[in-house]
Amino acid sequence: MTPDRQPLFHVRGLTKIYSGGEVEVRALDGVDLDLYEGELIVLLGASGSGKSTLLNLLGGLDTPTSGELKYREEELADADAATLTRFRRDVVGFIFQFYNLIPSLTARENIALITELAEDPMPIDEALDLMGLGDRADHFPSQMSGGQQQRVAIARAIAKRPEVLLCDEPTGALDVQTGIAVLEAIEQVNRELGTLVVIITHNASIADIAHRVIHLSDGRITEIRENEERGSVKSLRW
Amino acid sequence: MHPLDLKLLRDLGTMKGQVIAVALVMACGLAVMVMALSLVVSLEGTRDSYYRAQRFAEVFAELKRAPNSLRARLAELPGIASVDTRVRGALTLDLTGMSEPADGTIFSLPDNRPQQLNLLHLRKGRLPEAGDHNEVVVGEGFAKAHGFEPGHELDATIYGARERLRIVGTALSPEFIYETRPGDALPDPRRFGVFWMNERRLAAALDLDGAFNSVAATVAPGANRRELMARIDTLLEPYGGQVAYDRENQFSAKQLHDEITTLRGFAMAFPTIFLSVAAFMTSAALTRLIRLQREQIAQLKALGYGSAAIGGHYLKFALAIVGIGAVVGGGFGLWLGQAMTVVYRRFFLFPELHFHPDWASAAVGLLAAAGVSLLGVSGAVWQAVKLPPAEAMRPEPPAEFRRSWIERLGLHRLASPSMRMALRNLQRKPWQAFFTLLGLALATSITIIPGAMRDGIAYLMDFQWTQAQRQGATVSFIEPGSAAALGAVGRLPGVMGAEAFRAVPARLRNGHRERRVSVTGLPRESRLNRLLDERGRAVAMPLHGLLLSAKLAEVLGLDAGDPVRIEVQEGRRPVLDTVVAGTITDFSGIGAYMDIDSLRRLMREGGTVSGAHLAVDAARWEEFHAQVKASPRIGSVMLTAKLRESFQKTTGEMMGTMQAVYFGFAMVVAFGVVYNGARIALSERQRDLATLRVIGFQPREVAAVLIGELLVLTLLAIPVGLWMGGHLTRWMIEMSSTETVRLPLVLTSRTYVTAVLVILVSSALSFAVVSRRIHRLNLLDVLKARD
Ligand SMILES: Nc1ncnc2c1ncn2[C@@H]1O[C@H](COP(=O)(O)OP(=O)(O)O)[C@@H](O)[C@H]1O
Ligand SMILES: [Mg+2]
Repeated sequence: MTPDRQPLFHVRGLTKIYSGGEVEVRALDGVDLDLYEGELIVLLGASGSGKSTLLNLLGGLDTPTSGELKYREEELADADAATLTRFRRDVVGFIFQFYNLIPSLTARENIALITELAEDPMPIDEALDLMGLGDRADHFPSQMSGGQQQRVAIARAIAKRPEVLLCDEPTGALDVQTGIAVLEAIEQVNRELGTLVVIITHNASIADIAHRVIHLSDGRITEIRENEERGSVKSLRW
Repeated sequence: MHPLDLKLLRDLGTMKGQVIAVALVMACGLAVMVMALSLVVSLEGTRDSYYRAQRFAEVFAELKRAPNSLRARLAELPGIASVDTRVRGALTLDLTGMSEPADGTIFSLPDNRPQQLNLLHLRKGRLPEAGDHNEVVVGEGFAKAHGFEPGHELDATIYGARERLRIVGTALSPEFIYETRPGDALPDPRRFGVFWMNERRLAAALDLDGAFNSVAATVAPGANRRELMARIDTLLEPYGGQVAYDRENQFSAKQLHDEITTLRGFAMAFPTIFLSVAAFMTSAALTRLIRLQREQIAQLKALGYGSAAIGGHYLKFALAIVGIGAVVGGGFGLWLGQAMTVVYRRFFLFPELHFHPDWASAAVGLLAAAGVSLLGVSGAVWQAVKLPPAEAMRPEPPAEFRRSWIERLGLHRLASPSMRMALRNLQRKPWQAFFTLLGLALATSITIIPGAMRDGIAYLMDFQWTQAQRQGATVSFIEPGSAAALGAVGRLPGVMGAEAFRAVPARLRNGHRERRVSVTGLPRESRLNRLLDERGRAVAMPLHGLLLSAKLAEVLGLDAGDPVRIEVQEGRRPVLDTVVAGTITDFSGIGAYMDIDSLRRLMREGGTVSGAHLAVDAARWEEFHAQVKASPRIGSVMLTAKLRESFQKTTGEMMGTMQAVYFGFAMVVAFGVVYNGARIALSERQRDLATLRVIGFQPREVAAVLIGELLVLTLLAIPVGLWMGGHLTRWMIEMSSTETVRLPLVLTSRTYVTAVLVILVSSALSFAVVSRRIHRLNLLDVLKARD
């Protein structure tokens, strides 16, 4: 990677405090980070370390308590709801642990949710084919396996050709075999479309496929490691 | 189609039971609104064009006798557009095949000048020829009731003289759209008719040659009607004129107006209630749906759907329900309107009464329904809109449970474990429980209305014709008579008792408020025609002052003890400042009563009587009728039993139909609300219930938890609903109360018991549906689904 390029995300002193009830939770505590185009990042950390919080802030699902958060030239830290919506619509694709498809819509229709919004979306069939789902287009989520549902979610996320793909434990609910297939799909998006991909996991072995691995602990970054040699998804074991 | 709209359709499909329930409740409200407002438009439109076409007069005046030469002076009054003078009188009829006498009003038709106003709409035959003929045109209501056709002949007594009348035509008149005896609230087409005859012949019969006793006029454009009426009064005063009155006080026009007012009241009251219930139901269903779809909402937000798109999506649920409700309700309302038009044709005699759907009011109704539901769901939708997407990704935190206060009171020992779970559920979401309870209470309250209507009618009939009017017959003389006339009536066959009354036309005034009424003098010890208070107790006639119908007191803004002015319109036209001695209760018309001797003193007359209330031996009706027919002085006879019968047949039947319709509506609402509540509770607890099943509870026991919860709410809602129902009914009755007719507020235990039964049966049905669903609950599916 060439650190002198312009980062996509520019993060400084990012802090998120949840003050629900009696206790105050410092979910993120002064995070500094730059993320670049085309990178594949893996976020590691114990449960409760603040991974999801960070990802949600990057994706404009939430706003920080303090700190700086810029996407390209755009300040997201104090953006209003409309700006964040537009940002999510134009820039980000999300993939979550529990697939998060609309159960009453078929695979094709779930993807159409995005293609209706996006400026220059992929044809739905192309997105489906990319994920090897051509024959499942008209199935409802309840008629598909977990892996298939997650691949629909990925197809949906990439159909708008996002600049950023954020994945929160995308394989958390899947068996090894399916998990690998899903990771392959995500890695393929990164490789072929040049999308910045951030994957959260607490499975350290997945870290092998990343360009950079970021460790979070108690809301702080404890380590950023650059992989000299990236492993292939196929060789993963967990 | 946009995928969000597909989602909408499919989600609606999975909750179709609820959608239908809510839509039907809404449909009930809209149906009444569309029906009532369309009828208003139809009646008003038909009336207005009929009035215009037949040149219905705007000002009327009655007098004793004025020479025809006065007509020219009337026509010259400033502010008058056109004027007709005529003679008008009473007649009695001896009809073959009907033992009891009938009577009528007969008007003259001008002989050798065109009729200016109140033109007849000829239905059959022709108008009478000018000259000395005994030809008459008969009002269609009476003609139809007897099957009279042109060519028929009738025996009548006009002003004491027997005449044989030849029917040459049947007609409708804008003065008799509501064809009743002036002053009567109810039509009685078999015993009352309107007739028209040529002027010369009728004037001769009424001893009014070259004279007139009735005036009809229209006001010139831009002229002041009140000023014109005052000028007419001044001009006619020397001729025994009574104060002129305008169209609003013309009895037929007033009846029609009052009916329209009642319809307007219904058009307000029913939709208000039904639409609020529907709004509650939509709100509950949507709140639940949105909570169920927390993650889907978060997901859509993550995809980049903004507040407007998401808010709009959920608002469309409400709009879809409104749409279904509007189509069903609109259609049903139009059908009801058609059916009611047929009924109205019996009451209101127009050349043609067509039902015109009132699209404007349908649109207003639709907007109201949409507005109310959107208001109802705005809270829930707002929740969806402001749901922070990041937060919604996290599963809902486990609900906090506490021991319920009922348990803390120690009452739980009375309750089964299922019941205890039910109580805790209720306590956990008190607002939701409160709103469900409110919906159930509203449903209960609606079921009160039809019962109250039925009992109100029964009470009215008993009150009016068993308690108040105990006379078998009321006879009126063609002209006020002496004590001797009363004696003669008392000697009619079968008469067991006679009580005189003296009625004089008068204007009652309280400041600027005034009403033309008939002030009736009654003996202080009245046994036959009794005046009753609201609880049906006889009110003694005071020595001084007036007793007023409660409704009359209301429209004049008077209370017992207030001063009131009586301006008598007969004889020397005395004016008396007196007080309101009290009010009495009656359900049709507005009346004023005073001691007959005081009234006579005021009139400076001796034993003058206008007529008498009679107790008649039931075994001797035939003889009585025959004798009455042969008595030239008797101008009209009202038979209490026949009036009652006719009321029962017309108004009673109509109200009975309405009552059945409202009862159906109440059932729909009751079932809809309970079912909606049950479905919401079921979908909310699905996981808990499935867990209970997994750990070994029987379906029956699981259902008990849910049903226990609903049952507690239902049982709490019933007393609240019964109480609300009383107030609701009172409000409805007030909304529809007019000077013509009003319904008493009667709440019997039968009504309450029926309401409770309706709610309990609806509950039982809903519970059955819900427990069937619990039996079929697919445990694995439920537990797998993360909701
Ligand atoms: N909405 C919230 N309200 C309160 N505390 C929260 C909320 N979201 C996250 N937290 C807390 O913030 C911390 C970090 O959470 P999260 O970012 O979800 O961790 P991770 O994804 O690494 O498991 C945790 O202690 C969590 O309990
Ligand atoms: Mg997490």
